[in-house]
Amino acid sequence: MTYLLNVVILIEINCLLAIGFNLILGYGGLLSVAHPMFYAMGAYASALLTLRLGIPIWAAIPSAAIVAAVASIGLSLSALRVSGDYLVIVSLGAQLGVLLVFKNIELTGAASGLGGIPSAFDGAARAPIHAVLLAVVVLAVTLAVRRLMRGAYGRAITAMRNDEEAFAALGRNPRRIKIAIFAAGCGLAGLAGGFYAHYFQFVTPEQFDLFGTTALLTMVVVGGTATVAGPLVGAALMTALPQAIGFLDLPVAAMAPLQGTVFTSLVLLFLFVRPQGLLGGRRAGGGVEAWVGRPPISP
Amino acid sequence: MALLLQGALEFARAAEPCDRPTKFGVADPLTGPNALFGKDQIEAVRWAVEDINAKGGVDGCKLEAVVIDNQARPELGIEAANRFIDVDKAPVFLTAFSSVVRAVAPVANRTKTLMLSIGANSPSIAKLGDYVYTTAPLSDVEMKALGPYIVDKLGKRRAAILYVNNETGIDGSRVLKRAFEQAGGSVVLDESYEPDQTDFTGLILKVRVADPDVIHIHGIVADTTALISQIRQLGIKTQITSYQNAFNQQMVQQLGPAAEGLVVTALAPTAEENPAVASYVARWKRDEGREPNGLPYTQYFYDAPYIVTELFRYVREHKMPETGESMRTALLTIRTFPQPLTNAVTFKDDHTVEKPVYFWQVRDGKFQFLGSTAQH
Amino acid sequence: MLQPEIILQLVWTGLANASYACLFAVAFALVLRVNKVWNFGQAGQMLIAYSAMFIVLRWWHGSMIVAVSAGLAATVAASLAIEQFGFRVLRRRRASTLSYFILTLVLSQLIVFVGELVFGTEPTTLTDSIVAPAFALGPIIVNVWDCEALAATVALLLLLYLVLMLSPAGQNMTAVADNAALAELYGIDPNRSYRMSMALSAIFITMGMLLLGTKTATVPSTPLQQYLIASVVATILAGVGNVFSAGFAAFALGLLQSFSILIVASRWQPLVVYGVLAITILLFPRGVGGWQFRLPAAGRLAPGSARAETAR
Repeated sequence: MTYLLNVVILIEINCLLAIGFNLILGYGGLLSVAHPMFYAMGAYASALLTLRLGIPIWAAIPSAAIVAAVASIGLSLSALRVSGDYLVIVSLGAQLGVLLVFKNIELTGAASGLGGIPSAFDGAARAPIHAVLLAVVVLAVTLAVRRLMRGAYGRAITAMRNDEEAFAALGRNPRRIKIAIFAAGCGLAGLAGGFYAHYFQFVTPEQFDLFGTTALLTMVVVGGTATVAGPLVGAALMTALPQAIGFLDLPVAAMAPLQGTVFTSLVLLFLFVRPQGLLGGRRAGGGVEAWVGRPPISP
Repeated sequence: MALLLQGALEFARAAEPCDRPTKFGVADPLTGPNALFGKDQIEAVRWAVEDINAKGGVDGCKLEAVVIDNQARPELGIEAANRFIDVDKAPVFLTAFSSVVRAVAPVANRTKTLMLSIGANSPSIAKLGDYVYTTAPLSDVEMKALGPYIVDKLGKRRAAILYVNNETGIDGSRVLKRAFEQAGGSVVLDESYEPDQTDFTGLILKVRVADPDVIHIHGIVADTTALISQIRQLGIKTQITSYQNAFNQQMVQQLGPAAEGLVVTALAPTAEENPAVASYVARWKRDEGREPNGLPYTQYFYDAPYIVTELFRYVREHKMPETGESMRTALLTIRTFPQPLTNAVTFKDDHTVEKPVYFWQVRDGKFQFLGSTAQH
Repeated sequence: MLQPEIILQLVWTGLANASYACLFAVAFALVLRVNKVWNFGQAGQMLIAYSAMFIVLRWWHGSMIVAVSAGLAATVAASLAIEQFGFRVLRRRRASTLSYFILTLVLSQLIVFVGELVFGTEPTTLTDSIVAPAFALGPIIVNVWDCEALAATVALLLLLYLVLMLSPAGQNMTAVADNAALAELYGIDPNRSYRMSMALSAIFITMGMLLLGTKTATVPSTPLQQYLIASVVATILAGVGNVFSAGFAAFALGLLQSFSILIVASRWQPLVVYGVLAITILLFPRGVGGWQFRLPAAGRLAPGSARAETAR
């Protein structure tokens, strides 16, 4: 039972990550490969707040989210000064560099990471309680995003995404919106990190490497960018599928790269064939679809 | 080597599956940077299970190993442990690599499942909880013996310690430094490097300036190889020592003359001391055409299923419920288990294991036995 | 630590080890200049080159010539495929740079995973022994690999220079790089130039991997995790559009990393690259040479890139 619930909890954490990533990619039109790094930042921050400063967990996790969001502003401010595309480079450097720092300083436990992170609940009902709690959080976040996107701010975001030049000409500031979206997305990653740290009680730098971005890309592109439910579907599929594959009698050593091959092939397939993702509809302005462009109408 | 390892391994006919599952879990890296060790370790486990079942298994019941690839990553280790406990209902499982062991310990303790750590050598493992035991000595045993050995037997008193920046490197080098200083030596340089570093010129030049008479390297495989070759290339002829990880014939071959004189420690007995080891190595050469990566580690992995068999036997004999709790009771009651390839192991109350340390040196491209602490 | 022979040794080894970094940076910068794409797929190309040579040398025990030819053939073919079926399709659809990023990054990751499936994840080298014969040259130790690596790099850079300056195809490439639409008006086919630049970059990548694989052990993910970022940083340092400067920037980065040992512990050395990136972003976002960091998408302007500049 715990095993199944662990999978559910992982799905829920991945949902938070995917929603955040989707905000940045699908709505903001920015690609950041540093999402695993903000996830790590949240995990480490929350762990350190509870371990070193004795802050209670219910306060540490949101604080960790805020830490990640604030840190992201530093990143986006410097990169977006130049252009949105520059953010890719900057985030690549940040992802690799910051994790290297985590790996080397005593504060974060260096290469050994942090263990013995306190858990919010103990005892036999631990897994179900966490599963329910996280479900509530995911639901709340999803509803918040939906509300946001349907409101005035959401319309502004859509307008910016559809035609940034016109948007700027109308006197709006796209950069500010992008920074805000980026902060929200990274904050969500930090939140996910906090939950991860206090459930699994152990964080090491290697858990948050660059390849996490592939998984996120898969979840978001396959589920459907710029849709509210897309990332959820993507997260559920991409977390549950490997578990299911794990039960087939495949050669054990081939499973990890096989999963990776399937994920990346899926992203490429969807990118070219169905950029709106599984859930993206025919509505115009569907995230990646807008950026993958359309086949020319010529003969 | 088209090894198809499946979720449950198939075994010889001598043992039949009986009405009670006799399963234990094994999680090790079959992919990822440590796969070269993990794959051979799993092979050793597979052989042991085969051999045990050929002799009747656990009182006629077929012993089964459930194998999961954890890539030596903590979060996958936790997942694997949960699968063993919830899905396979195994009361005991084996795992390795310090970071994984540390991550999985809370799970083992919470669910009262017995976890046997094999070859992971961080000294912190002894303090990870009631349900975590190691079957192999931790790094402090090796390094505590190497320190005085370098001073007394090799006659060196100025050491440069270079170690890889991970748990193994950090812990191992720390213990060595203390042991070396206690034996009367002084550490003139103590520096770590990143695991994927390839150019060590700067570091080696620092070593040259520090002018040690012995260089100890506590790394993994590719970095140790690169370091040793670059040290020799830069004209430094100082004595080099390393730990059990460097007891690696393939690495010696790759290094060629650069490997001459290298002194390493090992924690598993030699073929001279234990004839079963000779036939084990011969089996490797026959089936795989080479020696295993990390031979001493594989010896411990081979021996672990024998401990598991004894535990099951004890629990069933005494009609105890087949839980981790019973397994642990059995472990602490039996205490000493004869082991085919690593001689006997005794589990102490402080969760540590003491074994003699063996010293080897590369001469003419091959490892020659120098001596062991058992002879003192 | 500041004795002359140590400094000289650091210079020599730093330069020699930066040789393949230079080749990778030039390849990356070339594709950026001509195709206007940040080709993160380069990590995948690097792995393909390595794999082809590895199969010939280690599985089939072939000769070095056959291996290099196989590597070149495989990488050039793959590069052309990426241009033809990847970049060209996106270009026709007027896709934004975002999709190029996703495409190239995911493609590299796919190739890495396939590499892991085929070759496993154990560190490998192209040759059995990575210990080359060494000799003393005055106060420093020089080994044969160092000399070969530097010679090969210089030769390739010269070759590229000649091709770009003197050959019609090279001159066309420069024209397309400067203004593709204008070049087309003059009768130059941009697609040929795009293919040519990918093929040239494939050559540089293959030779770079040959050097890398005979020097140190790698796993399939090494190009993506380690070497790609260095090429990117060198390109940014040099300023977008400066191909040869990117090569020199790679050498400079290599020397910087080499000399950093005088100040920091060995384990902090990789951080030098990221530190340089951080400083460049903050102080020289348009490159040290003052070039414009702008990324016009091939064809019409697409949402995102250049507009972000006007929207400031």
